[in-house]
Amino acid sequence: MTTTTTTAPAPTPVTAPPGASWAAVSALARFETRKLLTRVPVVVAFAVYVAWTVWRTRVSFDGFPALQDADRATQDAPLLVGLAVLLSANHAMLRSRRHDTERHLDVLVLPRWGRTVAHLLSVVAAALLVAVCVGGQFAWEALKPGAVGHGSPGELLVGPLSVLLLGGFGVLLARLVTAPFAAPLLIVLLLFLATFLGFSDDGWTRWLMPSVGTYSVVTLPSDLIGRPAAWHALYLGGLALTLMTAAVLLSGGARLRTAQAAVACAVALTLAGAVGQSRGVPESVTEARVRASVTPEKVHTCVERDATTYCAFPEWTPRTGDWARTVDDVRALAGGDAQDRPLVVRQRVEARYGLDADATLPPLTRPGEVTVGTAWGGNRVPEFAVAVAGALVTGSEATAGGMCDGRMVTVMWLALADRPDPVADLRRVRIDDSDTGSAIVVSRTEPLQMTSAQTELLRELLELPRDEAAAKVKAGWAELTAPKVTTDRVARVLGLEKPEGENECL
Amino acid sequence: MSPTVSASGLSLHYGATRALDDVSLRLTPGVTGLLGPNGAGKTTLLRVLATAVPADRGAFTVLGHDPSTARGRQEVRRRLGYLPQTPGFHPDFTAFEFVDYVAILKELTDRSARHREVRRVLDEVGLADVRGKRIRKLSGGMRQRVALAAALVGDPAFLVLDEPTVGLDPEQRMRFRELIATAGEGRTVLLSTHQTEDVAMLCHRVVVLAGGTVRFDGTPAELTARAAGRVWSSDGRDPGALAGWRTGLGTFRNVGDPPPGADLLEPTLEDGYLLTLDGAAAEVTA
Repeated sequence: MTTTTTTAPAPTPVTAPPGASWAAVSALARFETRKLLTRVPVVVAFAVYVAWTVWRTRVSFDGFPALQDADRATQDAPLLVGLAVLLSANHAMLRSRRHDTERHLDVLVLPRWGRTVAHLLSVVAAALLVAVCVGGQFAWEALKPGAVGHGSPGELLVGPLSVLLLGGFGVLLARLVTAPFAAPLLIVLLLFLATFLGFSDDGWTRWLMPSVGTYSVVTLPSDLIGRPAAWHALYLGGLALTLMTAAVLLSGGARLRTAQAAVACAVALTLAGAVGQSRGVPESVTEARVRASVTPEKVHTCVERDATTYCAFPEWTPRTGDWARTVDDVRALAGGDAQDRPLVVRQRVEARYGLDADATLPPLTRPGEVTVGTAWGGNRVPEFAVAVAGALVTGSEATAGGMCDGRMVTVMWLALADRPDPVADLRRVRIDDSDTGSAIVVSRTEPLQMTSAQTELLRELLELPRDEAAAKVKAGWAELTAPKVTTDRVARVLGLEKPEGENECL
Repeated sequence: MSPTVSASGLSLHYGATRALDDVSLRLTPGVTGLLGPNGAGKTTLLRVLATAVPADRGAFTVLGHDPSTARGRQEVRRRLGYLPQTPGFHPDFTAFEFVDYVAILKELTDRSARHREVRRVLDEVGLADVRGKRIRKLSGGMRQRVALAAALVGDPAFLVLDEPTVGLDPEQRMRFRELIATAGEGRTVLLSTHQTEDVAMLCHRVVVLAGGTVRFDGTPAELTARAAGRVWSSDGRDPGALAGWRTGLGTFRNVGDPPPGADLLEPTLEDGYLLTLDGAAAEVTA
């Protein structure tokens, strides 16, 4: 054995600056973030997500969102981004194995767990970007002039946390299975499970999915929602953190006390969230739902405008102005004492069955009381106008529901005449979406019925100049609103041709 | 004054195979060549010194830092540049991105300083014009230069190069020699190679490894001197020679113990290397 010695510099006392490893992780995270966010699947997913969100939010909730519904509407689309992030983060994690750079990178200063943390932070960045989009979508809804209610931070967190969860899954998967097709197969499996198993029952197991029940049939006041949104967010966050910390441990970070403590905390958070979200609807919410459904007047806030009192759930008080405009439009066309007759617009909701059941409300029997629902905009406006007109013509909502005579013509004309496109609205409020023949007229309570003859007569009346028609209605008000008045009689009073269509109620 | 790298008694076994056996070395600034036949343990030794695999026995230090501890290993890696035998690349990265990526893994965290350094090493290896090109679009020689740039980034005190000129055409090999010579100015370079010309042109020291043991450790001149008086010319291959081959002049160049009165020739480094291997890899025939 030969050894050689020559003079050389003394050992250089080079020390890394304090926190150099974390600074490198941070720098690498920025690098990986740039890479992740420019990957084709992620770019495409974000483009589709943003385009879909913009397109949908433009027309969502007919411009009158209840924010306690709008928050849940942010949850589904981010799943697309989440799947793309899963795929791309997994692909990036396997990069060094795929291109055989592992043995080179392993002798560089930053340890393997540091690289894993950087990949996880890039997933966090994607989740933050989704959070910005979710925030933008929700802010857009909240800034609409017709917005009411309150969103839940827990519901708003679901989208970003889903991306975090799926991205973390992608990183962990790369540490467990090095095959490049594992991630695409996993996505297929997830889609299969979501499509065919879907946890679609109402049991607690459905809360194991990231996004649950984003669409509801009925809009409830926010304090009656009864969804374990905060617990679910905790569950998702905990689960995402569990997967992410497990990935760090599998990357050689097992000796890091911080990582071990983080895994323990993450598992605890997940369990706490899972238990919390499985408890069902709290008793206090169930009681509040019964109160709001059966005796809403106990929780209503009432506002008087002219001869009308508007009683709404507190969150809907700002919407009374929209209701008042419709009421005023209808009243302005009415004759007799209907313009000044006291009217109570009462907001009602059937909350006892939760968000997924839209049971029909019984019509109000007290004279001059009209039901308005929790949704507004679109078809809800002419429907409400019909209800108001029905109460003004027949005296009460219950009477209007049972009406089967010529008064229906007056009711429908009062409701539609001041609308921008009365015939289009006629089609909207009819269940058959047509403007001819007999049909059911949709109502928040009991539906009304139109015969073919009444439809024909109404069309004729709507074709007259609005002022001319209004004068005729006001002049013949007493006869037009008399119980049992025939359609033929109504035609004569209005000076219109006798309708030829059948005149039997359904 | 201490050497940059000081190794003593390094041994490593892969199962029953003895890859390294009691290897001791001291490396000083400048280029040290590591010669040896296939399977001599060159790559294993380089991997041990690059902290990629730990030795079964023995110890070494790099600039006084002991890689047997986690902290020491980190310190060694902070001072190390490593070019593996067949470097992998991320083909979707540009040359700049790849070297930048390696620079981050070397804890060069200040973004503007790091980018300056990446540009510097890419300039140094002659890739300034293609730094924005994806690696998949670069030629083999250019890729090898990207790998060298990645090894050089951060100005490591100790550079480990595992057969960097394999597969390069003569022009590229010459260009690479220039780069290695430049890299050896002011730092310690350990260059593993099959090419004795590389050693002759670049190295101030040479270590010959065979069967996992050090057969020679000295200057190239000393290795060449081992063949003094043991290289001769003849009209036919001398059966007593360790190796012999026909030259372009039509005569045979023989290496070994010459017969009396032989027409002795000026020895080369390769002759010394062949004699050092003592026949283990000297089966060179015309």
